[in-house]
Amino acid sequence: MSTKPNVLVLTGFGLNCDHETAYAFELAGAVAKRAHINALIAGDVRLDDFQILAFGGGFSWGDDHGAGVIQALRLKTNIGDRLLDFVAAQKLIIGICNGFQTLVNLGLLPGIDGDYTRRSVAVTYNDCGNFRDQWVHLKINPDAACVFTQGMKTLELPVRHGEGKFYAESETLKTLTENNQIAMQYAMPDGRPANGVFPHNPNGSLVDIAGICDPSGRIFGLMPHPEAYNHVTNHPDWARKMEMQKRAGMSGKGEAGEGIRIFENAVACFE
Amino acid sequence: MPQRIEITLKEQLLDAEGQSLRLKAKNYFDIDLHQVRTIHIVTIDADLTTQQVERVRTEIFTNPVTQVSSLQPLDVDFDWIVWVGFRPGVRDNPGATAVEAVEDLLRLRLKPGEAVYTSKRYCLKGSGVTRKDAEKIAGELLANDIIQQWAVFDSSQWDPTVGIGFIIPKVMLDHQPEVTTLSIDSDETLARLSDERSLSLNPRDIPTIRSYFLKPEVQHQRRQVSLSDPTDVELEYISQARSDHCNHNTFGGRFHYRDLETGKEETLDSLFKTYIQGPTLALKKKKPWVVSVLWDNAGVGRFDDGHNYVITGETHNSPSNMEAYGGAITGIVGIYRDPMGTGRGSRLIMGSYGYCVGPRDYAGDLKPRLHPRRLLDGVIEGVRDGGNKSGIPTPFGQVMFHPGYLGKCLVFVTALGIMPAEINGEPSDQKTILPGDLAIMLGGRVGKDGIHGVTASSASFSEHTPAGHVQIGDPYTQKKMHDFLLEARDEGLIRFITDNGGGGLSSSIGESALFSNGCNIQLEKVPLKYDGLDQWEIWISESQERMTVAIDPTHLDRFMALSRQHAVESTVIGTYTDTGKLHITYNGATCAYIDLDLLTSAFPQWEFEAVWRPPALRGLTEPVLGVPEACEPLILDMLERPNVCSKEWVCRQYDHEVQGTSVIKPLIGAGRDVPTDAAVIRPVLTSQRGLVFSQALIPMYSAIDAYHMTTCTIDEAVRRAIAVGGDPDHLGGVDNFCWPTIQYDPLKNPDGRHKAAQLVRSCRALETMCLAYGIPLLSGKDSMYVDGHLPGRYGETHKVSALETLQFSVTGVIRDVGRCLTMDAKVPGDRVWVVGATRNELGGSEYYEHLGHVGVNVPEVDPDGFAARYRTMAEAVKKGLLASCHGIYRGGLAVHLGLVAMGGELGLTVDLAKVPSDGVDRDDTLLFSESAGRFIVTVAPDNQDAFAALFAGQPAACVGEVTETPQLKIAGMNGNCIAALTVERMKSAWKRPFGDLI
Repeated sequence: MSTKPNVLVLTGFGLNCDHETAYAFELAGAVAKRAHINALIAGDVRLDDFQILAFGGGFSWGDDHGAGVIQALRLKTNIGDRLLDFVAAQKLIIGICNGFQTLVNLGLLPGIDGDYTRRSVAVTYNDCGNFRDQWVHLKINPDAACVFTQGMKTLELPVRHGEGKFYAESETLKTLTENNQIAMQYAMPDGRPANGVFPHNPNGSLVDIAGICDPSGRIFGLMPHPEAYNHVTNHPDWARKMEMQKRAGMSGKGEAGEGIRIFENAVACFE
Repeated sequence: MPQRIEITLKEQLLDAEGQSLRLKAKNYFDIDLHQVRTIHIVTIDADLTTQQVERVRTEIFTNPVTQVSSLQPLDVDFDWIVWVGFRPGVRDNPGATAVEAVEDLLRLRLKPGEAVYTSKRYCLKGSGVTRKDAEKIAGELLANDIIQQWAVFDSSQWDPTVGIGFIIPKVMLDHQPEVTTLSIDSDETLARLSDERSLSLNPRDIPTIRSYFLKPEVQHQRRQVSLSDPTDVELEYISQARSDHCNHNTFGGRFHYRDLETGKEETLDSLFKTYIQGPTLALKKKKPWVVSVLWDNAGVGRFDDGHNYVITGETHNSPSNMEAYGGAITGIVGIYRDPMGTGRGSRLIMGSYGYCVGPRDYAGDLKPRLHPRRLLDGVIEGVRDGGNKSGIPTPFGQVMFHPGYLGKCLVFVTALGIMPAEINGEPSDQKTILPGDLAIMLGGRVGKDGIHGVTASSASFSEHTPAGHVQIGDPYTQKKMHDFLLEARDEGLIRFITDNGGGGLSSSIGESALFSNGCNIQLEKVPLKYDGLDQWEIWISESQERMTVAIDPTHLDRFMALSRQHAVESTVIGTYTDTGKLHITYNGATCAYIDLDLLTSAFPQWEFEAVWRPPALRGLTEPVLGVPEACEPLILDMLERPNVCSKEWVCRQYDHEVQGTSVIKPLIGAGRDVPTDAAVIRPVLTSQRGLVFSQALIPMYSAIDAYHMTTCTIDEAVRRAIAVGGDPDHLGGVDNFCWPTIQYDPLKNPDGRHKAAQLVRSCRALETMCLAYGIPLLSGKDSMYVDGHLPGRYGETHKVSALETLQFSVTGVIRDVGRCLTMDAKVPGDRVWVVGATRNELGGSEYYEHLGHVGVNVPEVDPDGFAARYRTMAEAVKKGLLASCHGIYRGGLAVHLGLVAMGGELGLTVDLAKVPSDGVDRDDTLLFSESAGRFIVTVAPDNQDAFAALFAGQPAACVGEVTETPQLKIAGMNGNCIAALTVERMKSAWKRPFGDLI
């Protein structure tokens, strides 16, 4: 009997990171299935068969009327109860970029006080006023319950979004901080907080927030793309690093990129 | 009764869109705005109760954390209000998704004719802002009259209870579709009718068309379907198929070429057959990796045993010139349909861009429709939304400024896809149609889009007339279609697929019907955006995001079920037959009945006079320049030149990492800010194989000779690919020609013969280079007529022609992406080599342009010599001897040494006396000559001997060293230091022009 968890990666309606997200989970040891949102709604694909649900990146419904807004509406209207059952069954959910935007619009994040229906935080337009693709330095909160980031201290990942600014009222921010729900923050190359400084904090996110989890740590949403660091050559400095290693007489260790650790952490929960 | 929701960000949130507008108003027009707040307006023209709209407002359109909204106009402070909305018939993407959301939430379907429209109003605050300022912001920053309408209000005009009112840009045509027959009693009549109806029939085609319809057996057959004279549907079909766009009459034409220097005269029959098809077929025989070329929507090459890659490129110049955003997004989304329609269909894996525009700071007397700055902003944004929203990485591109593009800009778009080598055991690149197969149109609906500008100039222009000739692409609809088609392909449901681009159904059905040899099409089945289209309009409309597919009828149910799951509209519009006829009916009545082989029959060839007057005979000479004394400011000024400086702001707007395949990114180096020579992606995630991609554009050399422009452009594209680790044995090319009009006319085009000769020479160079470098042309397109007539200061107009331009793209398979390399200097102590000789070749260079000259010594390529050099370089890469490799391109050695240093944020010491050269005795020539075939390479000391041995006998020399101190230090030929520039100073100059843009 295999212990590999089954992962459902949603597709359709303008979502677009499904192939590499499924690949990242497979690389981490899971069995990943890509399925259209309508197949899930119609019941052709059943949430019961999966242990992990991935809301991936993309431009669902063109990001019109706010990124992730219509996707959240579609899911809430059609399978809201099933999603809450999935959460209640203590399964894992990850939302990346458009998926994160969808999770906050569904209310599955931040899930303060166990309320998984309330929209209390937002991911809105970048302060810089445009879509932006760049790599960021991330600081991981060691005290967060987040199962996806366990054992990690820092990470570099690409961000690619026009609406990635994390926003909430100061009360909510305080609660998130106190609950250790701020799992991941933008940082300077040396690991210090970005303190809102562009481009280290690429979008103006309050408290440099790049990703949050729910109080249980089983639901995680983030703007950066761990699935896009699936191979060593994804990193912007890989050619320099490799040349240095060669000079030092070392050979690279493996081909997988460091973003895969996020997925391995999720898979490890089921081992 | 329509209802309206106004939405805006809460006051404490930064309005980034408003902020951008504020900055542009300041930077472009020096208008000081203190604040701009944006209000999104959703107007619902549907039979909904106020309670329903209230629910829609709170649950869809208002984010409770960030936004406030109301069914009444919001009270936001302003001095001026600018409202901007779409014109009727313009694609309103957010309006369409709003309908989906409303239907989902309320569990109902909007009735036919009901819709949701989006618009925006901007509340401007600024004490000194005049009405003229506000109108300038509206008309020159926010709205383009072609697709949008706008209004400006001051506080006296604004009624806070009424707001903008209810503006419903609904198309209402109130027209009964009708088929018209056109008289062909004489050539003159048909020519006149062609003119009146904008058919653009070539006068030389008219006798051929008439003689067909006058044939007794044709007339007999037509009578049996109740037709006599040709219908408008038929003539539009012929016109589309015979257009230069679809038929490439220029490249298929006959050229009478005369060289004034040698006196030699010759006649060339079809540039395409001679210089493109010929060499490509010859190379295909030698290169087993070439899978499919010269017939499908894109070329196909072998990626590995299990996959083929697909590539093509084209331009979208005229529409972008009219409406930059709409033209560009339609261009990029359109080119993505070509790989989707190649073979049985491929998945898109990459796109690229090339923009040629007038100077961004143009302040001259000519008045282009859109200022180059605005035009460039628009095309950048169009490709951004089109590419990003399609989920396709855009890791490479180029921007070129030259006054010749004031007349018409160029927007190049290129697309790559990948497909399994086999689908259900059959080769994926092959496809056919059997009689009885169903013809299906899917994706978008049909409206009056792109129909030869007729609607724009129509006399009956009203507030409900669709603005059809410029469109806005809809990547969302296309992405859904893309995902659906790939699933349908993998289930074996697709027999044949092609896209609907230029010519619409007329082209896609007309061309696909050749595979079965006939079709019956029922035009009334084609889903329309709105009623009232004539039959011919349905047939030739270029409405976007549509594909045409042929399927076996037994697969219909499954195909349609899958289509529904993906929320894609698919419609059977007819059946393929083997009758030899294109038979079109509308509600049972025949409106076209034409023999398919009419178009393959003998239409007369186009003819061109081409006269080559060599540069010396045109009076071009080298300028007489003394050697400059101040090299430092000169190098810094060169780094600041618009065609050299950093364009990071463009790259960063494009998602170049989606799909997780990025290997060599557009911006690299220690600061991740220096452009790469070429991009590399790893399109099959489980494989170490990669695809390299590069492009080059050096139109400036055409001012001297388009032959050398072409050889240098191809050389640069190839050298770029080699520099990152490309394999010289696997390089495929895509040629995109953009030429001014070449048909001579003593008044309208007095230099047409010269431009025609340049085209002939360019094609010759293309052949020479492809054969020498072993590059089969996997795909290519031509776009002629790159001219514009611009009003001047006194109301006179000036014809402005673009430089003869070739964009050349190169792609190829790399066996192991781990062997790729980047151009940045990496380790202090490494040796700096220059490979390839520098010659006295400053003609057309950036240096001469900077000093106000053209010159005549244009760089020349030694095709066989360079090809051998690139093999050696590839060998060095394979052996792992290089730490970095960078080609020397526009701006010459000085600029590119600067880039290598900036890339590594390290220093370089360089001794010009050691630079391999041929007949050069001046520092400035060594620094700025643009001789082709050269690289700057850094090599670890341990590899120095091996590298030297490999390049023994070639012009290659160690010229210096990489240093820890980040400074480019150049010694002149006499040994004195002529420049010592820190990386910081160079970056500061190089980023000055566009570094503040985001």
